[in-house]
Amino acid sequence: METGFITVFWYFVIAAMVVPLMLGVGWLLRPKAKYVGKEGLAYECGEDPVGSPWIKFNIRFYVIAIVFIIFDVELVAIYPVATMFKSAVLAGNGGLIFAEIFLFVGLLVAGLMYCWVRGDLEWVKGISGPKRKEKVNA
Amino acid sequence: MNQSAAFAHTLQSWTSQLPILSAFPLWAWAAISALGVIFLLALPFGGLATYVERKIAADIQDRIGPNRVGPIGIFQFAADAVKMLAKEDFVPPGGDRFLFNLAPLFVVVGALAAFAALPLGKHLVGADLNIGIFYIISVTTLIAPGLLLGSWGSQNKWSLLGGLRAAAQIVSYEIPVALAILPVILISGTLQVGSIVEQQGWGVGDYHFWNIIHNPFTIISFFLLFIGGLAETNRIPFDLPEAESELVSGFNTEFSGMRFGLYALGEFVDVFVMSAVLTTVYLGGWQLPFFNIDQWVIPLPTGIVALVHFTVFMTKTLLLVFVVMWLRWTLPRLRVDQLMGLCWKGMVPLALINVTGTALWMWIFKGQSLMQLLAKAFGG
Amino acid sequence: MTNGMKLVLFGAEVLTVLCALIATFHPNVLYGAIALLITFLGVAVMYVFAGADFLAGAQVIVYVGGVTILILFAIMLTQWLYQMKLRDVGTKLLAPILIGAGLFYVLAKALLDINPKFLSDNAEPAQKFLMTPKTALLGEALLGSYLLPFEAITILLLGALVGAVWIARPR
Repeated sequence: METGFITVFWYFVIAAMVVPLMLGVGWLLRPKAKYVGKEGLAYECGEDPVGSPWIKFNIRFYVIAIVFIIFDVELVAIYPVATMFKSAVLAGNGGLIFAEIFLFVGLLVAGLMYCWVRGDLEWVKGISGPKRKEKVNA
Repeated sequence: MNQSAAFAHTLQSWTSQLPILSAFPLWAWAAISALGVIFLLALPFGGLATYVERKIAADIQDRIGPNRVGPIGIFQFAADAVKMLAKEDFVPPGGDRFLFNLAPLFVVVGALAAFAALPLGKHLVGADLNIGIFYIISVTTLIAPGLLLGSWGSQNKWSLLGGLRAAAQIVSYEIPVALAILPVILISGTLQVGSIVEQQGWGVGDYHFWNIIHNPFTIISFFLLFIGGLAETNRIPFDLPEAESELVSGFNTEFSGMRFGLYALGEFVDVFVMSAVLTTVYLGGWQLPFFNIDQWVIPLPTGIVALVHFTVFMTKTLLLVFVVMWLRWTLPRLRVDQLMGLCWKGMVPLALINVTGTALWMWIFKGQSLMQLLAKAFGG
Repeated sequence: MTNGMKLVLFGAEVLTVLCALIATFHPNVLYGAIALLITFLGVAVMYVFAGADFLAGAQVIVYVGGVTILILFAIMLTQWLYQMKLRDVGTKLLAPILIGAGLFYVLAKALLDINPKFLSDNAEPAQKFLMTPKTALLGEALLGSYLLPFEAITILLLGALVGAVWIARPR
């Protein structure tokens, strides 16, 4: 392991201490009041909240997260290859790595094009894909 | 090309002649450097940024802005801090107390820990890791789960919607951000921040000047990284997670007092980190334009070099922070479908073209930058 | 390794195992996900100590920034999971233990086959290995002897992407 990670360790420790420190100082200073009346209710611009606060939401969020993970893994795989590129170019055999990067980008584009054409990247068109042609109310 | 050094090593060598301080081991200096950067740079920046942002907003809108506390209201941030500390502590009774407390921890640690790898100067890199820039990308991902958990624990519909939007937006824009940094990795051949900045110096040899004008593709990449950074930090025009006209205040609706303060601090520090990353990878970090202080005829003491480097780095970074604040009063907010469309249909394809283009340029011109080619062509 | 570093490593190990146990046995699945997040971070710390700094970064990016978000989205989408108390202990304990023990045996065997001196502390080559940067070596390996697996992984990921969005698409 590198010595630099000792510094990283201290950064993590001190950054994690900032939160309890600030909340702790506040705890010493502020009044210790109990919540009065409807103070404990969720803030909804003065109305009493109706129904569960944990609402149903769009499945799009999940699809975006899946697409993200796939791209993320490919990116992580290409970073070490990218660090090799300069020395390979200077040594005169940049062709292999260039082909490699080109292939990588090509496959990413293929995946992206598939999602694009099939309408998986659309946010508001409804979840059944590009065939539906309703008016969008954004 | 001489190596950049960690802050802790620099401190140790500076104090090697002093009586008590010379006995400090390296890990103690590492802790002191971390303490110094967080408490003397990051936290004061977070505080002052709130004041500066209000002042810039006032100037742009032809108002006066905060002007009561101290001359031109300069101590407004201190007054705000006291107010936040003294406010009643509110935890939604129907919510999830544990998650509510945990969320600011993730946000603050994710933003502050990134400072460890920022190259504030040649001798002032907190930790000059081999994976430097990769480390910064990876620790800032801690923010997204934090925002999501905090919004879930808030027992509030608006909070949850804001948190979901924040998480989806941050993860989506991580792809264009990482792809926009990739050309620099191709150019520099390393992930080490010190080495990336060192190569952007002015001079003959392996120096290829600022990466932004290395080739035509990197100029586009710079702007992609800037836009992606805005989205990662939830700044306008990408502040949908906090859209006050639809979600009250978004993921921080139920956060008040110091808890809100910690969220705000995390956001401003994240803006600084994003600007610092831009400075490091594209704007030459601590390097002065058209002048290399390391290759000056008289070798300067490290103290002065460090001071110059730090000033140059901070000037560039704070200029970018200013642009971020300026944009807030210039651009309208995007719609959520536009946001995702811009990311996946605009920035990701463009970033992929840039990566391929930069690789092609490197291959054809044997890794030379535009500046180096011009210098060769004109014999300078 | 100094004693302080050993202490940090030990702390990270204890935290990782503890959070793994919480992730397995906690009745609230959301808390399990948070414990899993901390387990991922603990594993990243162990990668750092093993000298695999790039892998540690990749672990945080992919697992903490990606997989955890995906799991949290999944839990939040089916919000009744949050209120439900899940208990699944006792009946299905044998199979996981067997699988875990088997995996441990395979990994330990592979590790000791590569470097028999792995268990001896402070061996000189091990120390040297831990200090060398490995990102470029990793890139070299991916372009050299592991070129074909690397390409296969890229295509596998493409397949995974197509499959995942196909499943998520309602019919």
